[in-house]
Amino acid sequence: MVELTGAKALVESLRVEDVKHIFGLPGGAVLPLYDVLYDDPGIKHILVRHEQGAAHAADGYARASGKPGVCLTTSGPGATNLVTGILNAYMDSSPVVAMSGQVPSKLIGADAFQEADMLSVMLPIAKHNFIVRSVAEIPHIVKLAFKIATTGRQGPVHVDLPKDMQADKADVEIPARVEYVKPTVFELDLARVLEAVDLLAKAKRPLMYAGGGAISSSASAELVALAELLGAPVVTSLMGKGAIPEDHPLALGMIGMHGRMVANLAVTDCDVLLGVGVRFDDRATGDVKHFAPKAKIIHIDIDKVEIGKNVRVDVPILSDAKRALAAVLEGLRARAKRGRPSEWLTRIEKLSKELSPRMDYDEVPMKPQRVIKEIMSVLGGDAIVVTEVGQCQMWAAHYYVVKKPRHFISSGGLGTMGFGFPAAMGAKVARPECDVVDIAGDGSFLMNSQELATVVENEINVVVCILNNRFLGMVKQWQDLFYQKRRSAVDLGMVPDFVKLAEAYGAYGDRVTRPGEVAPKLREALRCGKPVVLDIPIDPDEHVLPMVPAGGRLDQMLT
Amino acid sequence: MKTRIFSVLCENSPGVMMRISRDFTRRQINIDSITVGIEPTGLARIILMFKADDHMAEHLHHVLSRLTQVVDAEVIDPEASIVREVALLRTKRLSDEKMWDVVRRIEKAGGRVLESRGNVLVAELSGVHEDIENVVKALGPDILQETARSGQVYLGRRTAKDR
Repeated sequence: MVELTGAKALVESLRVEDVKHIFGLPGGAVLPLYDVLYDDPGIKHILVRHEQGAAHAADGYARASGKPGVCLTTSGPGATNLVTGILNAYMDSSPVVAMSGQVPSKLIGADAFQEADMLSVMLPIAKHNFIVRSVAEIPHIVKLAFKIATTGRQGPVHVDLPKDMQADKADVEIPARVEYVKPTVFELDLARVLEAVDLLAKAKRPLMYAGGGAISSSASAELVALAELLGAPVVTSLMGKGAIPEDHPLALGMIGMHGRMVANLAVTDCDVLLGVGVRFDDRATGDVKHFAPKAKIIHIDIDKVEIGKNVRVDVPILSDAKRALAAVLEGLRARAKRGRPSEWLTRIEKLSKELSPRMDYDEVPMKPQRVIKEIMSVLGGDAIVVTEVGQCQMWAAHYYVVKKPRHFISSGGLGTMGFGFPAAMGAKVARPECDVVDIAGDGSFLMNSQELATVVENEINVVVCILNNRFLGMVKQWQDLFYQKRRSAVDLGMVPDFVKLAEAYGAYGDRVTRPGEVAPKLREALRCGKPVVLDIPIDPDEHVLPMVPAGGRLDQMLT
Repeated sequence: MKTRIFSVLCENSPGVMMRISRDFTRRQINIDSITVGIEPTGLARIILMFKADDHMAEHLHHVLSRLTQVVDAEVIDPEASIVREVALLRTKRLSDEKMWDVVRRIEKAGGRVLESRGNVLVAELSGVHEDIENVVKALGPDILQETARSGQVYLGRRTAKDR
């Protein structure tokens, strides 16, 4: 036991959790905490320009590194500005620990200046949340917050810190471990595993479907080994991109509304589908009645809520992906040797060739496919690609070949415009040795472009490639397709000049208008030692195709 | 839709009830009754009664089990448990004839009159939810001024093995 202020106890507790970076923005209700951070050499605070940026940066940090991201704001508006970012992290199961100041305990409930009832606001949008009621419990709460965020199905945790709890002193003890009632490891149900092994061993058309859970449990090696042993093609969700190297001969790419056609057809045709850390989201499955209609479904997931929620499951396996896949592998290896499903593989290979997406366009204004192709030609497998949300995101998801887990970062469940740029900032802070590129749209980038100040001031050298069509493109696409081209409130006009915008912040800006110029300009951008915005005007009428209309069948895509 | 009973063992701290009830609100499931009691261990036991189809009931069971402050969420099978409810009823001012009619009906249902002042009765009924519901409905708003209901309380039936 030592006597510390709450703020000091909090920072000590963060140090125990190995926190190296905090994304935040101070204010009245967190002054005691910022006063302690002023002296702390071990934790680097990165001052964002809007609290939403802090939440997304912490989220991007977590996804790129696998370690929890941390953000910090003041009370009231500072805290409410975290809301979108926290829900975004929750929907995509990203471990974030968010902290915000609160008015002093005795003023809570009095509508005090900059008071918001954050306990209630965060309750439905975070995995869990706390309010500190005594200084002595701070180390315990911090320990528990990190434990909850990083175990089981990961997710964000919010801690509300009344100002007096930061300033007051108490005898505190930093605990080495904390009691937590939820299971963090599940007993594998071996009977279920063997049922899965049976189904897979007998399958004539096996297919694996990997999601974000395969990435967060670091199950890529097991996933690829199982696919190779079975001769099973692998499709992914948006969150699962990179779980298998997408240049692997068995990788078919993403399924769903804007998935690869071969991937969607494989789902429709397979006779056994092994879902690994996926939640069968409606954007991925289309009409669930026609999702994998010929298949027995095996579902590995760490969250019982997800099993059987959206699709019928024949064999549920409650486990983290890595452990379950290892057990299935073990089970299969113990069996007598079996042939590869060569007929199935030949058919898939043929389809794959026939339906290979076209990217070699030479038009001006450029086609986005061509832009992605050139970006891909420059970036190696070590580069981290982050996306904004909308058409740019789906073009990236459809065409970009991701080679490693944690190297494709995108807002999946919530579809948060404005996510990409601050998330790219967080990813670059977590993995400074990697090139980090945000594949952006103009509408989405503008939602958090103020973080240009943050990346310039902190020398966080990310590159933003704006696929600029001067539209809220995805909304426009739906209006074109389903509302008789009545383009209501989607035209963003010709402002701003993104090159000048970059320059106004002290970043490097350039415009790329012709095919063949994207690659050299991106190469230059990565070498210039500054944050960069590349403004790349694209064909404003281009749609993301093929497409499964909302609630449609995966095997019936618009082309 | 079937009536369901969940028994949720959880931490006894502010906000737990809200976390549980919002999982119902969000899915537009109405909670018909909710009771809280503190167990000898210091944990709280919340008993919820609601109507839902099989899929929703299973989903809610998993959702509640997932909450950080929930230790255990149990689906109660009314067949294998003793489930009771207590209701207190206050009548309007009744004519003598009507009053004696109500007394008879209460006693027939196994209840008893606790108080009677100026032809206003206060009575107590206990039993299974449906029986109480039937009496309350039969008496109706012309007779009843006010009712107070406990919600569901239950104890699991011990099997021979437990003894």
